[in-house]
Amino acid sequence: MSQPELSEEDLLQRAGRGDSRAFDQLYDRMAPRLFGLLRQMLHDEREAEDILQDGFVLLWERASTFDPERSKAFTWAVMLFRHKAIDRMRMLGRRNRLVDSAALEQSTLGASLQAGVDEEVQAHERRVVVGEALKELPKEQRQLIEFAFLKGLTHHVIAESLGIPLGTVKTNIRRGLLRLRDLLKGGA
Amino acid sequence: MMDEERFQELAAMNALGMLENDEKRALDGAVARDKEVRSLTLELEQVTAELAYLIQPVEPPANMKKRIRAKMRAKGVKGAGVSRGVIIGGTGWALAASFALVSVWLWQQRSSMTQQLAAASRAIAPVNNPATPLVDDGKTRTLEEELKKRRDEFEAQKLALAKEIEMLNKRETEAKAQTARLTAEVAALKEQEQQSQLQIATLQSKVWEYRRSEMLVVWDQKRSQGVVMLDKMPKVDSDKDYQLWVVDPSKPNPVSAGVVTVDAKGSVKTVFKPVEAVSGEAKFALSIEKKGGVPKSEGQLLMVGP
Repeated sequence: MSQPELSEEDLLQRAGRGDSRAFDQLYDRMAPRLFGLLRQMLHDEREAEDILQDGFVLLWERASTFDPERSKAFTWAVMLFRHKAIDRMRMLGRRNRLVDSAALEQSTLGASLQAGVDEEVQAHERRVVVGEALKELPKEQRQLIEFAFLKGLTHHVIAESLGIPLGTVKTNIRRGLLRLRDLLKGGA
Repeated sequence: MMDEERFQELAAMNALGMLENDEKRALDGAVARDKEVRSLTLELEQVTAELAYLIQPVEPPANMKKRIRAKMRAKGVKGAGVSRGVIIGGTGWALAASFALVSVWLWQQRSSMTQQLAAASRAIAPVNNPATPLVDDGKTRTLEEELKKRRDEFEAQKLALAKEIEMLNKRETEAKAQTARLTAEVAALKEQEQQSQLQIATLQSKVWEYRRSEMLVVWDQKRSQGVVMLDKMPKVDSDKDYQLWVVDPSKPNPVSAGVVTVDAKGSVKTVFKPVEAVSGEAKFALSIEKKGGVPKSEGQLLMVGP
């Protein structure tokens, strides 16, 4: 009889207790999404692979600190991997400049809201909710948030790259994220 | 801007990884002090992380799991590659013990065979490339990849340091040029200052015979010496000489600056130095005295100035 599928939160907690099979399953579920994110952030296949590798080692080491009451396993992992990617960009001196001007056009979160073949139902549902919430934001706020999320650049560089006053960047980011938080909580 | 808005702004930018170092420190301080800021910062980080649900998934390389295991082994991460937390009870222990014994025996066999294979490989390996391993399993590949990765990291760090050194050298060159400019400026200012201590005085005479005579004194107070230039001076008797005096306001009598002998045209240009030090703003005078000069003026002052 096949076992019921464990949630990512269960798997991460088990990995935290040293269960390497749970870690393997977690890798199978999360790695493609995390690798997609790292590729978009770093614009370099090799760098993205390195951060994916280092990030999963760190995930194994820190899994025991995960608290399912405070966050979802995937968002917890995303925070960990993004921090690593931003650290790498800082080390390579990439945070203070836009590596590729074409990246301006590529920096949108354009994944289809259709369910993937192997996708966990819970993850698909969350994708739809986040996608709909993002659409609710005014265009200028949405574009800035997407750009900042994918690039890992400082606000000065973003303002310069997009030709927008610094104050406008800060205000739109603040308003956009607060609105997004309210929408994801189920607020209008 | 109100504190609340400012911390909202910092928390939002922090969630997106946009903060500069000083702003990050400011936020970290507020997070440590204020529970609400702490809560908001975490909340916005989670909201931001949720955006990753919208990322198009991409399959990582097939050997990535092996690479992760290799990295864990290289780092000595505890529990790597071993499933823990599996509870074995009853006859399971006996099975586990048997399995362990068989595993040890198989491992010894494998080690022995590996050594033999390695020896054989060395024996038949080309002389010009003796280090090429002929026994190549997954572990070797993953370790090689790990070494390559580390080498790349060091190369990146080396490149970054080289750039920093280049930048520092450039700054040093600029600083040296700036120092040279400033040194030259200081020298010019010193010269200017020195010049500013030079006093130029023209002397006039109220005596009729000397109405056309000209006398100019350039006086360097710092060095306590000067140059006197006389022109169109009438001839003096053979037993007389012109004598120059420096009038120091702090002294009761003029200080002798020596005898001045003019040529046939009544002209002379000569350096003079008073016999005593002169302080304060000096005045100058010319008189006719006994041949060879006198220590204290006895004759008529012909010219005084300025």
